[in-house]
Amino acid sequence: MDKIKIRQICFLFAVMMPVTKMLVYPTTLTYYVKNDLLISAFCNLLIEGVIVGLIMLLAKKTDKSFFSLIEDRFGNLTARIVYAVCALFFFASALLPLAEQKLFVMQVFYENVPSIISFAPFFFVCFFACTKGFKSIGRAADLCLPVFAVSFTVILLLSLPHADFSALLPITAVSPLTIGKGSLFSVNWFTDCFFLLFFLGNFKYEKNASKKVILSFAAGAFFILIFLAVFYGVFADIAIRQQNAIAQLPKYTTAFTSLGRLDYLFLFALTLVMIFYLCVPIQLCVHCICKTFKNCRPTLPSLAVNAAMLGLVILLNRSFNELQTFLTSQAWFVFLIFAYLLPVLALLLPKKILPKYKNKKEKLYE
Amino acid sequence: MKKLSEICKENVKIIKKILSSEDILVFSFTMKDGTECAAVYADGITDKMLLGEQVARPLSSESRPKNAEEAAKLLQSPENKRETEPENIVSEILSGNTALFIDGIGEALIIGMKKISMRAIMEPPTSVAVKGPREGFIEDVKTNVSLIRNRLRTEKLQVKTFKVGKQSATTVCVVFVDGIANPDTAKEICDKIESINIDSIPDSSYIGKFLAKNPYSLFKQVGTTEKPDILCAKILEGRIAVFTDGSPIALTLPYLLTEDFQGPQDYFVSPYRATLSRLFRFFAVCVSVLLPAFYVAAQLFKLQLLPFGFLLTISGSIQDIPLSPSLELFFLLLMLEILIEASIRMPRYVALALSVIGALVLGDTAVKAGIVSSTAIIIMALSGISAYTVPDLVGTVSILRLSFLVVAGSIGTYGIPLLCALLLYYLISSDAYGSPMLAPFSPIVKRDMRDALLKAPMTDLTTRPEVFRPKNKTRLKPSTERKEADNG
Repeated sequence: MDKIKIRQICFLFAVMMPVTKMLVYPTTLTYYVKNDLLISAFCNLLIEGVIVGLIMLLAKKTDKSFFSLIEDRFGNLTARIVYAVCALFFFASALLPLAEQKLFVMQVFYENVPSIISFAPFFFVCFFACTKGFKSIGRAADLCLPVFAVSFTVILLLSLPHADFSALLPITAVSPLTIGKGSLFSVNWFTDCFFLLFFLGNFKYEKNASKKVILSFAAGAFFILIFLAVFYGVFADIAIRQQNAIAQLPKYTTAFTSLGRLDYLFLFALTLVMIFYLCVPIQLCVHCICKTFKNCRPTLPSLAVNAAMLGLVILLNRSFNELQTFLTSQAWFVFLIFAYLLPVLALLLPKKILPKYKNKKEKLYE
Repeated sequence: MKKLSEICKENVKIIKKILSSEDILVFSFTMKDGTECAAVYADGITDKMLLGEQVARPLSSESRPKNAEEAAKLLQSPENKRETEPENIVSEILSGNTALFIDGIGEALIIGMKKISMRAIMEPPTSVAVKGPREGFIEDVKTNVSLIRNRLRTEKLQVKTFKVGKQSATTVCVVFVDGIANPDTAKEICDKIESINIDSIPDSSYIGKFLAKNPYSLFKQVGTTEKPDILCAKILEGRIAVFTDGSPIALTLPYLLTEDFQGPQDYFVSPYRATLSRLFRFFAVCVSVLLPAFYVAAQLFKLQLLPFGFLLTISGSIQDIPLSPSLELFFLLLMLEILIEASIRMPRYVALALSVIGALVLGDTAVKAGIVSSTAIIIMALSGISAYTVPDLVGTVSILRLSFLVVAGSIGTYGIPLLCALLLYYLISSDAYGSPMLAPFSPIVKRDMRDALLKAPMTDLTTRPEVFRPKNKTRLKPSTERKEADNG
């Protein structure tokens, strides 16, 4: 209990969640829905927001972890099986963001074509993070707040002068069915709410906690929508060709000035946030494995998961498009089941409801 | 071991048998009625003048006392106690005190007559303040504790004394304010010091190593200061101080990384100036660690990082340089480290010669010879100088600088944020004595932010840092006038 604070969960949603939606997601969305990308993204965010709200409702009702809830209802073996399956899901769901970041790193951080080895040390960092548990997730979120606030603001301010928001008009240029298809095929980017389910029992529910988390999620959603609007405003019809959107956005302002690509410094800072956030699903995967194997020490699972992930990234080094196509247009229902259906079903798990949550002032620093 | 008897000479024999060294002297004299007395002391660390005036003179004019208590009353020394165990008597003699034996009394009187030649209290060279007090600690633990006692005249100031070191029996004092410092932390520190089993403690850094939660850490684990005013402020924030006899450096625990960015005079200048100074120090450390790495990464992997004009200048300067950028800078940083090491240890009279060699031969001539570029020299110099804005972190900064350089030269640009992430993960998971090292930034402790990198006015620092979990949280109660002013 009390390994992560409500404040840190809020920061996770408000400042860490948006960064993973700033690389390939805008381009993919533009491919499906063109200038209606805001509506499609809004739909995804709304559904995810509802799920976040539901999980917070569950947190209000019980102070137990997701594992304990399943264990109480169906026994230890079932709980361990569910966690093993969830570990697999986290592993799979981390794959695309990792491949995305690899692509981003290769294209933005290097002028020549670097070897895959340049990206490999990420897994060493991730291994280290995995051995540190939930505490490190929360504390990393605390650090990300100022980094994201400054970097995102600067990048947005550099891009705004070139944005023509009339490119977003007319609204609903494509059919609602296409918008729905766009939302469905980009659902893999909106599984962050699922993390919250595993934080259950690891934070103390305070007064107004639900409100705070939902509002911070709304703030994160706002940043994503603003980013998408500026992105489409700057690139309009050629948006579809602007992979690594965040790196492309400010280039018109800085490339020809005497300062050079000043925005890269802020991109580096955002990359730091990205690294922290990319570690989260892998950390949760390791957490699930540890639970599956009766709370074993995380060192070995961390090593195994990161080694496997590195192997897969090397294997799929040149197959990013195939991987993306498979996960977005064929395996989208898996994301739906885990990220949305499972939290809804989890609502039915608690046997008894807590009489009243305690609003005790926190004394420990996590 | 043989017990003390009532015969003075036998007692002296017992002690001399244990302390056979030639510098353990015996001063024998008789009382008015012919009773024999003997004072055993260690030459050089006992004040012989005091021995004559406070012990020999009053006793020689008196008759034999009935017991040790009466004997103690005859002495003119304010610091004396009785001891019966030979081992304890030996330990007192070795500490500079005198053991007095009187015929007919089966105990020794231990008289405090320690005389240690020590330097005067002066401004410490490692912590110079333009404004503010200029006192500094010295090597004598008693003087150091007295400097604190002089500033904190409260009955709650607690001093716990330990003898550490099997051979050295060094005095180690733990100082804290009861009611402010967290009692669990104080107990843990005392227990750790008590459990130290080592031959000798030559300096406080030895104690620091034992108190460190993670001895393999790249970062400091224990705070240090040489100034009584700073130590008092830290004690009043809820920290615990540790003094070691023979060391002018006091240790403070728990340690936060931010405290190294706080300068000695920050509390004596305007808060704006203090804030600016702290931000500059932080920026300078970042520059020192990251600048060489960015320079190498930009040249090798991402030229766009550099503004076009600057790129042209650099490309001009690196023409015909045989070394790759990373090797060039690595070589220069290595030279810098060697120069620093040499300048610390070399005699002062050759310092000038070394400056000439360092600046002209290694710098100017190396550029002219086309071995290194002038830009690399500038980067190295800037990085080297910047590190000294936070003197306590210089060691860590130089290791980090080299690590970042190696990573940037091998992995490339992406290596820099990766190593930053690894470093931050390491720091956020380092807790010592219940206090996270990166607090108040991670985890965020809002109230403590007022005196971290930013410095709020003194009147706004009403509470002690929460991160130390002090028992008494209030540091300052706002005056009624101020409250009224705030209420408009």
